Amino acid sequence: MSRAYRISVKSSETRTLKAADEIGTTLEILEILPPEQMAGLLRGELTAQGFEDQPDGTMIRRDGDVTITVDPCSGEVTVKAEAAGEVSAEARQNSTGFDDMGPTEEMIRRQMKEQLHGDLEKKFDTAQQKLQQQATKELEQHLQDLQPEIAKILNKVTREALKQKAAQMGEIKEMSENETTGELTIKLEV
Amino acid sequence: MTAAATPPARTHEVSRFEYHLLRVLRFFLGHFPTDQGLSLLRSSIAAPTCLSRTAIRLAEETLAKGCVLFLARSGAWRNDRYLHEGQPITGRVWERIPLAERTLSFTPAVLRFVVWATSEKLPGTKEKWNPPAEGLTPADELFFYLAFEACRADPPLLDVLRHREAFATNPWAWLACPAEVAGHAEARPPSFDPLFAGERAAILESLQPLFFQRWLNSERLKGKQSDWKQMRQQGRAELASLQAFLGAADRANRRDLARFVLQVNAALYTKDLTPTYWTGSLTAQGPPRLADRLDTQRAALAVPRQMAVFQAWAEQARNVSYFDEGYTASQLWKAEWEAASGDEIAARAERTIEAIEPLRTDPLPPEPQTGSSS
Repeated sequence: MSRAYRISVKSSETRTLKAADEIGTTLEILEILPPEQMAGLLRGELTAQGFEDQPDGTMIRRDGDVTITVDPCSGEVTVKAEAAGEVSAEARQNSTGFDDMGPTEEMIRRQMKEQLHGDLEKKFDTAQQKLQQQATKELEQHLQDLQPEIAKILNKVTREALKQKAAQMGEIKEMSENETTGELTIKLEV
Repeated sequence: MTAAATPPARTHEVSRFEYHLLRVLRFFLGHFPTDQGLSLLRSSIAAPTCLSRTAIRLAEETLAKGCVLFLARSGAWRNDRYLHEGQPITGRVWERIPLAERTLSFTPAVLRFVVWATSEKLPGTKEKWNPPAEGLTPADELFFYLAFEACRADPPLLDVLRHREAFATNPWAWLACPAEVAGHAEARPPSFDPLFAGERAAILESLQPLFFQRWLNSERLKGKQSDWKQMRQQGRAELASLQAFLGAADRANRRDLARFVLQVNAALYTKDLTPTYWTGSLTAQGPPRLADRLDTQRAALAVPRQMAVFQAWAEQARNVSYFDEGYTASQLWKAEWEAASGDEIAARAERTIEAIEPLRTDPLPPEPQTGSSS
């Protein structure tokens, strides 16, 4: 007479998952002044906006999990969002075996462990996808805020460069700026 | 009234295998129905140890006439203007280029491939055929490109061919259909430098209208592509191919041979276009990362991106004076640029490219009004 027995296997694991998303683009800096002077103006404006100098010449600002890197010389901008989290997952498997027929207890346990491993991987994959979505969403939101800020910085740099260029060309007689429309009128005597 | 007796038509006797081989050859050259040609490739027939003299002569004749006819029809017949030894020459290919520079010579590699394709049941093959591409002549390369083109309707067959060196490094295939040659692998186009001299330059001149039409159709169809992965793969292959090709044209001082890319842009940009013209069907959920989505959108604009290169060429051409070296070549490029309304097209292309950039800025304030008095 065969006897049935029940096998229960449980597995749990904790992993630190990381996800990141990053975009890179190049700012269009007009060559009103020589490139090194334009880079200097951009550097000054970025410092005023909280960017910090790095040893490699780039400037960095961290807004929470988002890092903005600007190279004032080339105008290259990188925006990177990172997300990390410690995720615990648990999987459980139950099965029934018979002592005189079918696979042995050892075989059943081995199969169950393989299934448990697969279940755990799926759970971690799902968690990883969620983390990735979180990082991407944060990047997208941050880009929306960053776009007007960058436009404002570039606008300021261009205006400052124009003023300097005009001063090089002659004596500035009159200058009027319209902050709303971005218009800048310079009258100079050559 | 009796009709004059006509002499009996001269018949050539060939074996069954040779008959199949000649039909496969005609299929590769585009002179045989596609469905019947593909079905011949999918069936196998035992190859004899050697071919008869008649079959070889017929194959040679078919190959020579087929390739020349293809080039003539593709664009060699056109009364066009290209540089030859630094001077612009007008006329048809056979009027512009001396015979010695447009003579096609084939190596046995071509016939070996046709024998292999006839005897094997493709796409599954028993016998390995993958000769090195180094020894191939310009005419061989042209034939292998035609064979690749003929098989484009059958993706599994194309997959078999693209892994063979003769196809994977075929410059004509990389210029006509880069996405199909690259497949899912990373795009690694061959060196295009040899295309700008000798017979290859003559072939390239002849194929300009064909390449123009192919790229234009490909760009127009991009708007219907809904698969993000395929769009990215296609765009990357096109970008790699065009960058390598334009770089080689510049090095060889044969910018006139990049005309078809300029003309494709001119044909596309008859008005301002937004990036949705290319990526409008990418509405399904794309890759989870914004970086990948942006990369795909950038890759889709591989062709408009080349306008920046052409604009730089036009700037250089404007700065070449009468007594400078390369003045005539510069004048030719300037003429091409102006005929295509290059400045306007370049500005439109730039606006399209900027539109997908995530941190694009608004137009900058106008130039200062400088009131000067002295």
